[in-house]
Parts: sequence; C-alpha cells; structure tokens
Amino acid sequence: MTDKPASPSPGDANDAGDGAVPGDGPLHTGSPLTRVLGVLALAAVALWLLYGLVWSPPDVEMDDLVRVLYVHVPVAILMYVGSFLCTAASALWLWKRTPGWDALAVAGAELGALFCALTLLTGAIWGRPTWGTFWTWDARLTSTALLQVLLLGYLALRRVDPSPGGGSQRASILGLLLIPNSMIVHYSVDWWRSLHQPATITKLDPTIEGDMLVALMVGLVAGGLVFAWLLVHRFRLAWLEQRVDRYDLDAAVAARRAEGGVQGNPGNPGSSGNPGEPGVQPA
Amino acid sequence: MSGSILAMTDAGYVGAAWGGAFVLIGGYALVVVRRGRKLSRRVPPGERRWS
Repeated sequence: MTDKPASPSPGDANDAGDGAVPGDGPLHTGSPLTRVLGVLALAAVALWLLYGLVWSPPDVEMDDLVRVLYVHVPVAILMYVGSFLCTAASALWLWKRTPGWDALAVAGAELGALFCALTLLTGAIWGRPTWGTFWTWDARLTSTALLQVLLLGYLALRRVDPSPGGGSQRASILGLLLIPNSMIVHYSVDWWRSLHQPATITKLDPTIEGDMLVALMVGLVAGGLVFAWLLVHRFRLAWLEQRVDRYDLDAAVAARRAEGGVQGNPGNPGSSGNPGEPGVQPA
Repeated sequence: MSGSILAMTDAGYVGAAWGGAFVLIGGYALVVVRRGRKLSRRVPPGERRWS
C-alpha cells in the first residue's frame, strides 16, 4: 500500500508494437494466491448452490421464496464491505497520498456498486411475490438506492478530472460518505417504520436456525471468497491503470516538448522535422 | 424444497435472483480479467510484482 508509482523508463512503451512491453512476468492479474482463492471460491459456490437450492427446507411463511434471501443477504453484506473498504481507503489516501490506497478505494467502490446493484435486483425479485411490488419508497430500499447513487457518483467523479490525482481527490471526499450512508441503510429498519424485516443474522442471536442458518452462512463464506478474488484482481487492475496513465502522460509531455523544440527552432540543423525527434537545444 | 428445484412454485423468481446474481458477477469477473491481461502488456514486468 505504500509503494510509489515507479517512474517510467525510456523505451517502456511501444517497444513491441501496440504499446506492449516485452519481458518476463505474468501478462494478467492472477497469481498463485488468486488461483488458490479461485478454487476455494468455486468449491464454496457449489456448496452455496446445494444448500441454497436443494438441501435447505422451505420456509413456513415464504415457502421456496426464502431461497432468494440466501443470495440477497450475502450480497447485501458484501455491499457494506465494499463501501467500508472504499471509505477507509479514501481516508487513508487523503492522509498518505500513496497510490495503493487509491487503487483499493476504486476496487472497493466498484465492487460495492456491483453488490449494491445485486442487492437491489434480488430484493426487487423477492419483493414482487412477497409484497406485491418490485419497488416501494421504503426507508431501507430508498437508502440503498441512495448508496448506489453515491457509489456510481464516486466512480464517475474519478473520470471527471483527467489530471493526475485530480479525480481521486474529489472522489475520495465523496468516498468518505459511504460508511455513514451504509449505517443509515443498516439501521433504517430500526429508525423508521419499514416494510423490510429487521436484521436476521447480523446480531448475536440470529432469528433463524438449522439448515436455513447454515445456508446463509455458507452463502456469506462463498460470497466472501468470490468478493476477495474479485477484489485482488480489481486492485491489481487499478494498479496497472495508474501506471499506464502515468506512461501515457509522460509520453504526451515528451511529445509536446519535442514538438515545441521543433517549432521553437525552425532553423535548427539538428532537427529532422519529426515531432517525435527533438532538435538540438541551444546552449 | 420438497425434493427438487423443479417442484418449486416460485422457481422463476428464485432462478431469476440466483441466475441474475451469478451472470452479473461472472460478467464482471470476465471484464476485469480481460482488461488486466490487456493492460499487463503495457507495463514492464518489474511493475507486475504479483507473480
């Protein structure tokens, strides 16, 4: 997390055509760690499917619709995790200004947005047969939709300012609001009258038991492993994006300087007139 | 589930929720991995320290 972006060395880009850099090293974001994590996640997902769809019994009131909750609850909790990561990493980036925290913040925000969308989607699917509607302006639903807007806003803000660190600065300030909003989402069912049921497993005495509780817990573990796998890959992708942006910026600056050198010395005998080839600068 | 998923009365809702979740997560994973492969080619090996 404390690594500074390395300065691009001459000849790093465009040496192998279409911007590719020759050399050893993995041409992907995977590693032995992610391969182990991936295998564990796939095994856990298989168990999640079996418990969620086959082994757990139907609910007395909801019947088989309870199976929607075995995916809805884990993705909702992972939505909180993504938001928490984004806020924590944003705060640390604003304090330390190291690129690793910025990469973690964007990875957390993107995963938070994905899992927030899944929370809204699976909740709407569950709500249609249970409440008779896909959507209602309930406190829990509305605050979750607001969290989705904040997460998408965070990602959009990063693209607004193209200067190095400019988008990160603005987005990080917005990122600080994600934990407070997540707390509003979580406690909304206690603070306001709500159609949504109160917390089921995020307290010391769960309101469900037996295979239903196991199905939810397996879902949490499996979803957590999938989340971790995605987080590592997305973090490394953000790391690569930072470096490529830096190289592109340095290449653009070098090209501009070369162009300025040519235009500023039209009679310079050392210049070939090629924008990529700087002329001889006067002493 | 009284035996099998095929016997569920609300199988469509359950299938849509699980299917939608897995399709979205799988699609996102695919995009991240493919973009990672593409960008890795533009960064020197020394900067890809996770091998």
